[in-house]
Amino acid sequence: MIPTKDSIEPDDRQLVDTIRGGDPDAFEQLVRRKTSKVYALCYRVIGNPEDAKDISQLVFIKLWENLEKYDSRYAFDTWLYRMVTNVAIDFIRNRQSRDNAVNSNLRLVKTSTEADQGVNVQRKEVEAVFNDISSVLSPKQKTIFVMNQMEDLASAEIARILGCRESTVRNHLFNARKLMQQQLQIRYPEYAQLWRNRS
Amino acid sequence: MNCDTFHAQFAPASEDAVVLAHLRSCDACLNFAAEQDGDVLFRSLGGEELVPPGGVDAFVSDVMREVRLRGTETTVTRRTAVWPRRLAVAATFAAMIAGTAVVYEIDHRGDAPVQTAAVVHHQFRTAVKPVLESYDSKNATIVEVPSAREDVTVVMVFDDSLPADL
Repeated sequence: MIPTKDSIEPDDRQLVDTIRGGDPDAFEQLVRRKTSKVYALCYRVIGNPEDAKDISQLVFIKLWENLEKYDSRYAFDTWLYRMVTNVAIDFIRNRQSRDNAVNSNLRLVKTSTEADQGVNVQRKEVEAVFNDISSVLSPKQKTIFVMNQMEDLASAEIARILGCRESTVRNHLFNARKLMQQQLQIRYPEYAQLWRNRS
Repeated sequence: MNCDTFHAQFAPASEDAVVLAHLRSCDACLNFAAEQDGDVLFRSLGGEELVPPGGVDAFVSDVMREVRLRGTETTVTRRTAVWPRRLAVAATFAAMIAGTAVVYEIDHRGDAPVQTAAVVHHQFRTAVKPVLESYDSKNATIVEVPSAREDVTVVMVFDDSLPADL
């Protein structure tokens, strides 16, 4: 029987053990394995590719410096995501204090006629809309919304990552939706009609 | 999954990973799904793993360079940190020894100032007492200084022409 790729490659915990044993190549393998995942979360939370890249690199450097603290009884991804969210939330807080929400009202409100014509939804535009309206969310609200809606993580898992109660996560999600709905209604009424369907 | 299958299988609030994967890669089906379930609007942004600008290889290379650099800095810092510590210890010992020596010196100067004071006192007495009488001649100057007692004591005779045994 030919060994499959999965049977050859060590899992995350095994890789961490090898790194702790002093093998820097194993760390490179871990970085390569997690890059896309870490970058994706950073990008969705931060909304800027270059900043997301810098923050992702910072996450891996912190990971290297704190690897001894990882408790292998828990899932590695949960620990990694906790690091990503902490660094990303810190970054957004610093950026918010710098920018002071300057960009929050840049988009002109569409006229009712335009809104009535409906919308041909495209992911690029949805992404721009999300980046725009999510600026009103707190860093934690945005992170939770991204993890739940885009990373498909259940609220229980998000609670483990953030070290809070599941009810807190659900509360943040509810408030995030409410705030985003308000912003959609004001700035993108055509999208507000769509998003109102269920949420 | 193709678009036809997606249309057939899509249901509001679907958590099916395959359905969501198609939704996240097909704008035409996103339109269709969004009309039935507005909640998919922002869900469509997730899923796929993204590649950082410059590619994964460049990213990993940057991270590893930084990690090695920090590792080197830590080693160098540790090495260099030993010397200042040793110097500090040596300086502390030197300061302690010097301090002890100074204290010893001050303690043993306890007698010396008494002696010095006596000498100074003696000089002081001879210097400030008024000259009561003096004799001048071509060859000699004699200065008489009153003592504590009643008699007069000749304290200085300056005369080169006088015999030495005078």
